[in-house]
Amino acid sequence: MKISTNWLREYIETPLDADEIADKLTLLGLEVEGIEKIGSDYEGIVVGEILGVKAHPNADRLQLCEVHLGNEQVQIVCGAKNVAKGQKVPVAVVGATLPLPDGDELTIRKAKLRGEKSEGMICSEVELGIGDDNSGIMVLDESLKTGSPFKETINTKPDYILEIGLTPNRPDAACHIGVARDLAAVIEGELKNPYQEVEKSAEDLSFINVNIEDTEKCHRYVGMMVNEVTVSESPEWLKTRLKSIGLRPVNNIVDVTNFVLHEIGQPLHAFDYAKIASKKINVKSFDKEVTFKTLDDVDRKVPANTLFICDGDGPVAVAGVMGGKSSEVSDETKTVFIESAYFDPTSVRKASKALTLQTDSSYRFERGIDPTLQLRAAKRAADLIAELSGGKVVAQQTDEHPVKTDQKTVSLRPSRVNHLLGTDLGKEEISGILTRLEFGVTSKSEDELTCIVPYFRPDVSREVDLIEEVGRVFDYNNIPTPKTSPFFTPETLSEWEVYNERVRTLAKSLSYKEITTNSLLSKKEASLLADENLHIDTLNPVSQENTTLRTHLLAGFLKAARYNFNRNAKQLRFFELGHVFQQDKKGTWIDGVKEHSNLLFGLSGYKKFESWDGKPEPFSIFDLKADVEAFFRELNVHDKVEQVVQSNYELEYQLDGNSVAIIKMIDDSTLKGFDLEEEAFTAEIDITALYNAGLANRDTEYQKVSKYPSFEFDAAFIVDSEVRAGDLSKEIRRSADETLVSVDVFDVYEGKNLGSNKKSIAFRLSFLDSNKTLTIKDVEPMVKKIVQALESKFEAKLRS
Amino acid sequence: MIDKIEGLKKEIQNSTITNEDELEQFRLTFLSRNGKVQSMFGLMGKVPNEEKAAVGKAMNEVKNLAQSTFDEAKKALENTEEKVFGASDDISLPVQPTYTGSFHPLTQALNEIKQIFLRLGFNIADGPELEDDFHNFTALNFPPDHPARDMQDTFFVRKSDNESEQDYVLRTHTSPVQIRLMKDQKPPIRSIMPGRVYRNEAVTAKSYFQFNQVEGLYIDEHVTLGELIETLVMFAKLMYGSDVKYKVRPSYFPFTEPSLEMDIWWENEKGGQWLEILGAGMVDPNVLDAVNVDSEKYTGFAFGMGVDRIALLRYGIDDIRTLYENDIRFLRQFKS
Repeated sequence: MKISTNWLREYIETPLDADEIADKLTLLGLEVEGIEKIGSDYEGIVVGEILGVKAHPNADRLQLCEVHLGNEQVQIVCGAKNVAKGQKVPVAVVGATLPLPDGDELTIRKAKLRGEKSEGMICSEVELGIGDDNSGIMVLDESLKTGSPFKETINTKPDYILEIGLTPNRPDAACHIGVARDLAAVIEGELKNPYQEVEKSAEDLSFINVNIEDTEKCHRYVGMMVNEVTVSESPEWLKTRLKSIGLRPVNNIVDVTNFVLHEIGQPLHAFDYAKIASKKINVKSFDKEVTFKTLDDVDRKVPANTLFICDGDGPVAVAGVMGGKSSEVSDETKTVFIESAYFDPTSVRKASKALTLQTDSSYRFERGIDPTLQLRAAKRAADLIAELSGGKVVAQQTDEHPVKTDQKTVSLRPSRVNHLLGTDLGKEEISGILTRLEFGVTSKSEDELTCIVPYFRPDVSREVDLIEEVGRVFDYNNIPTPKTSPFFTPETLSEWEVYNERVRTLAKSLSYKEITTNSLLSKKEASLLADENLHIDTLNPVSQENTTLRTHLLAGFLKAARYNFNRNAKQLRFFELGHVFQQDKKGTWIDGVKEHSNLLFGLSGYKKFESWDGKPEPFSIFDLKADVEAFFRELNVHDKVEQVVQSNYELEYQLDGNSVAIIKMIDDSTLKGFDLEEEAFTAEIDITALYNAGLANRDTEYQKVSKYPSFEFDAAFIVDSEVRAGDLSKEIRRSADETLVSVDVFDVYEGKNLGSNKKSIAFRLSFLDSNKTLTIKDVEPMVKKIVQALESKFEAKLRS
Repeated sequence: MIDKIEGLKKEIQNSTITNEDELEQFRLTFLSRNGKVQSMFGLMGKVPNEEKAAVGKAMNEVKNLAQSTFDEAKKALENTEEKVFGASDDISLPVQPTYTGSFHPLTQALNEIKQIFLRLGFNIADGPELEDDFHNFTALNFPPDHPARDMQDTFFVRKSDNESEQDYVLRTHTSPVQIRLMKDQKPPIRSIMPGRVYRNEAVTAKSYFQFNQVEGLYIDEHVTLGELIETLVMFAKLMYGSDVKYKVRPSYFPFTEPSLEMDIWWENEKGGQWLEILGAGMVDPNVLDAVNVDSEKYTGFAFGMGVDRIALLRYGIDDIRTLYENDIRFLRQFKS
């Protein structure tokens, strides 16, 4: 919202400059986001007298002017036809700068134009930025003193336009008087408000019949008339005001309605009375869609239940949003009907949204205007229109007012003000601030003020709202620093937070780089990860690329991998910790949604590059598996998780029968779906499930380390080729006692000498006892047991 | 006698040993049983008793010098012994530096923020990213027709006309975690709640449909706006340096009253500008009422800030999308 400081000064006198005003307003909660200077100081522009004019010897259209500037006499080449001897004219002297329409500046220099010297420039209104007349140079009053500064001869001075980012709770400040009121409250100045109470006429307008059919959406409708108007251009002062805040002047009727809107915040609409059919106004909504041509010449489809202003023939305006073409004021208009109404904020917001049309009117109605202002605003507009157009205000008014707003009264405890703000304000100080904001304050008791809330503050209805008013005028920056700090023993950090930090740090220590990827995937991507009936979609996706919540982190990694491979990366080792979402009968936090924290490890590309010391070595699934098992070991679950082979490409880890991790070699169709050519391996670990297994405890109890060396025993078994090493390992562990501390495989071998469909797996078993050095004698019985178990369960044969 | 010893010392110092032969010659001359050092000690008997201590000390020094000269020379000769170096033994051959793990800049910025609030005694709380209407809007005092409830601003996952079925949304802030905390726990409460949030915004250099927030909540019997401001000032000083220039100004949020925003002065090539770094306020009594906290007895403050924005500022990144592209050349720049 734009506020002109020159305009603002009409209502509040202050020595503050624009920057200082902006600072005050910002600290009041009317944040000034930018300041723009318009107009000029006219430095270097003086009144010059034309002593003589003669033709330019080398150019037909140019003339040579002899100009007296007070202290010197110069020759200026001028192209204007209206230049004549004896005129007083504005002259930009050498060194002066003029604003250009594109925002740049033109600096006047000594020049030679077609061989004749020119020292200065005689200016037109347009060149000075003070008017539209571009037909020739600006001719000044002959009585002006030659050489005097031009700025002393005109009324305009530079203006500073404040761009205010208005918060939605402050409809009262959506106009110049509203902003001036806040400023007055903080600088303790006097607000000059030209809106006086208006005595309502005894009789309604007899020339027109106003009826409010939909009183839910229209609480009040005031009509006034001005007749015998002459529609013409507005005077300079009015045009300047409107232009300063970026409005285009139209004519002296429309301009007045816009002026009043930006002065006091009441949107008005001016109708050509002659065009109102049957001299009837009906405020109503339709139960079906209506097509309506708005002022801007656009046919708009207006949804059912939108409020319209109708005349005898039908709709003439979308209430509170925009008027119609048919009843617009034109040059022929003789009688003006002014509408000043209060429309329900919600209904205007809906209409404005449905039409995707926000106007200065709708902006104010939807925030909530002063419901008592309508008559005063109509009167102000009618008076101004009469004054500017030579018209006469019709004495009668119409004021349909079916819904009256009750004035709110709120009590305020000064002690509560200080309790909440941490201030030490006295009752007088508090009541002073509120009074300056036009609250009606009376003292009820020692610690209670009764505050009557002005109608223009729909946002204030509770004690805490009043406290905010006091606080913002007092200035939050003036609140004293607390003398003591509010200290109490901090709670112990939540276990979940600690666990997550462990997980993240662990991933980094395993040499993975963290990535952050999108939570929202395309339907196609999501379908490569999980069955569609597990998907959760947004109803209003930002684009087709981002419709579905990720069920796994995998997609993010594959996309990051593609991005990097496209940029010639060779080695990717990434992790991500993030939420994943699936449809679920029960739900984690809210019904029907399983939302877990997952950890992803992803490997793709080369573990080792081609180099002078060897061949390149791509990552393998076993690199990933080693990292995952290291991760489990650090989280102390390595001896509790069980691996379950899902396929040759997928291995699951379970804890108490629940899946906690899946290691995958990404299959070709998924790679293709993500446009990847390189092999990729991912592990996705369900951190929520791991945490919920109750194993997050990190209390460490030292276990004595054996003083003795371990005894290692190698044994190779021949088994059918489909037998899994994992199953053999599991059986070995099951058959041994706790002295068996590790089971490694140091060789796997297939060969014709073993027979078809056979393979050999060589295990190295490590035995350790804390009380003695083990020998073959000690472990032999256990080895026998292991061999027997493998023989009976897997038909494994010990290789001699 | 002392002169003799000095002479021997010079002799040892001046001897050169550049090969095995010379080393052996040195040993024979000085250190062998018949060597000069040993014969020097043989002269001890002729030394008057009162000088014995001084002479003995000098002799020992010479002996030690001879021994150390021999040892060093021997070691040096061993090291210069020819070893066969192949082409691949060239120590100047380049290597590929080991791949290292790292945290994403968003995590690094978040960790900085967390550390500050942990020092101020705050706990850390978590909650879901997919929320119901109650936690994301209603309990936070958003009126039913608030623009944030618009499909243009918020991602809906479920929108129901059925009163008994709540709308589901991707949370638009981490404030729902505050609601969950206050429902689960009695005051005093002092916690921050970091997490990913969503707004229905197109992806551009300046906006993204997901970003990260840290919010904070403190509820107790005598919490004031003065304490809120002091907490924010402490944060700003710890985060941006103790000489940070700041101001607070009134603002508006549905869930706080009064509400404010904090700006800090950010230097740049053009001189500098005020930058909004966070929003805050006193928890609105309606919010406390919604979670059955006595709003007369308890007061509290809440604040919130965007982690992405802080990371962009801190590291001078000019395009939000960079944060979610995960270019390894980008990630590598953020050292641990």
